[in-house]
Amino acid sequence: MGKSVITAFLVLEMTEILINATLIGILIAIPLSFLSYFVVMRKMTFAGVGIAHASFGGIALGFLLGCESFIFPLVFCVVSSLFIGFLYKKGGFSEDSVIDVVFVFSMAFGIFILSLSNGYSGNVLGLLFGDILSVNKDYIVPVIGIFLLSMFFISYFFSHLNLITYNEDLARINGVRVDLLYYFFWIVLSVLIVFSIRLIGIVLVNAFLVLPTLVGLNVSKNFKGVIGVGILSSIISVAGGVILSYYVNTPTGATIVLLFFAFWILSFIFKI
Amino acid sequence: MIRAQNITLVRNNKKILEDVGFDVKKGEFVAIIGPNGAGKTTLVKIVIGLLKPTDGTIKINGVEPEEFIKKRNGVIGYLPQKAIVNWSMPLKVLDVVLIEKLSPFSFFRKYSKEDVERAEYWLEVFGIKNRVNAYIRDLSGGEQQRVSLARCMFNEPEILVLDEPNTAVDAVYNVKIYETLRKLCDNRDITVIMVTHDIGAVTMYVDKVMCLNIKLHCHSSPSAINYSEMLKRVYGNNINIVIHGEKCNNCIFGVRDDRNTH
Ligand SMILES: Nc1ncnc2c1ncn2[C@@H]1O[C@H](COP(=O)(O)OP(=O)(O)OP(=O)(O)O)[C@@H](O)[C@H]1O
Ligand SMILES: [Mg+2]
Repeated sequence: MGKSVITAFLVLEMTEILINATLIGILIAIPLSFLSYFVVMRKMTFAGVGIAHASFGGIALGFLLGCESFIFPLVFCVVSSLFIGFLYKKGGFSEDSVIDVVFVFSMAFGIFILSLSNGYSGNVLGLLFGDILSVNKDYIVPVIGIFLLSMFFISYFFSHLNLITYNEDLARINGVRVDLLYYFFWIVLSVLIVFSIRLIGIVLVNAFLVLPTLVGLNVSKNFKGVIGVGILSSIISVAGGVILSYYVNTPTGATIVLLFFAFWILSFIFKI
Repeated sequence: MIRAQNITLVRNNKKILEDVGFDVKKGEFVAIIGPNGAGKTTLVKIVIGLLKPTDGTIKINGVEPEEFIKKRNGVIGYLPQKAIVNWSMPLKVLDVVLIEKLSPFSFFRKYSKEDVERAEYWLEVFGIKNRVNAYIRDLSGGEQQRVSLARCMFNEPEILVLDEPNTAVDAVYNVKIYETLRKLCDNRDITVIMVTHDIGAVTMYVDKVMCLNIKLHCHSSPSAINYSEMLKRVYGNNINIVIHGEKCNNCIFGVRDDRNTH
């Protein structure tokens, strides 16, 4: 009798975790699919790798200071994304190599800090490849806020961002504040990346910046279709990945990305 | 309408433009010609406020270009050099013609009937209305340029700045573009500044030719230019000009480049 109550309780708790994780994943994947369109069209996808890895330094620093809040990775990501964005803007040298430097620096910094703090007891594998159990309940309120804010930004400025992507000079002579919008874009992107790290993991986050648009481009020729298909495929990948990872007991991020990859392959078949 | 005075632009200690000055009146059709790297693109970018000159002033209707564009959306129509436009985007011809129509939350709305009709009107003017639902990356280079021209006109600009609108456009359609632009100047009082490498046919349609090679070598009506001398000055001495008559403006002339044949 007592045992079955405990089991029922555990099942209930697990369902709650699953629902929370799926909800959080979807709320982040939708705006990321929009941003993915611009990032892929401007050929800046590698920037996402740099930004995601920058969070590692922040997480490590937070651990050292005994404060595992999302503030530290957030600051690290925003600063490095603005830095990367600035370098993209400036041009004149290979941006990819600079992103590599940001990426290597924050990983090295993170490991260095962790070793100072007498061994990291946390789950490094989960950090890198996503861990559903680290997505706790108090995450949901900030994520809803972030979803609403980023969706407002994207939909309010969609035509501006579209024009900038088509040709920056045209945006300028139409009075668009290109630079301001551009830096806002990087800030929104890094906030979304930071909040998806617990679920997807540092290494795999970039899938959400690349795959939605790549799948979309295989299925549709029109930008609204591309973004729509991107959103749909990422929602299904998140939901499917979370549930599958729970039953097969695999890292959540990896499972989501594998599903997403399968979508991409499928979309190729659709294209042919 | 446009007045440039002593424009100089220095980059990496190199003069890209030196002491360039000119006037363009309202409704005038001006061509800028000159060899690659002469600073043509740089000059038109200065005219519309995308670049700041190191020295000199540029005024449109008495105010700086940045001020002038604030007058209203699309008061300047600009056709950038083809290579710097992102033609790989998943956009239809109609999407491109309407791309400068900036409005909040546009993603979730349909184009209005008036906008579609206006876009189709300008596509018709440039003879490409039949491709209105085609995707831009499926168009030929010449078709893409004509779509760009329709886009430039959509907001009914006062000034049209075209950077090599005739790249990839065939000879027959080139003439049609010049004729259309001429009509826009005459009937709608639009000021057109056009960068081109087509130094032949263009002279029949424009009011003024500006020959640029870092410095402005001449700035006058096509009939007043001594072509063989001017081209030698702008394009260098190792160029051989085949020309029918010294001061002809209505003839095609060939330019044979001897730079690599010694
Ligand atoms: N951002 C830049 N930084 C440094 N130099 C530049 C820059 N942009 C252009 N230049 C230089 O300015 C010169 C003029 O360039 P511009 O693009 O204006 O020439 P153009 O006359 O338009 O040539 P084309 O016929 O090839 O289009 C070139 O020598 C070019 O190398
Ligand atoms: Mg040029």
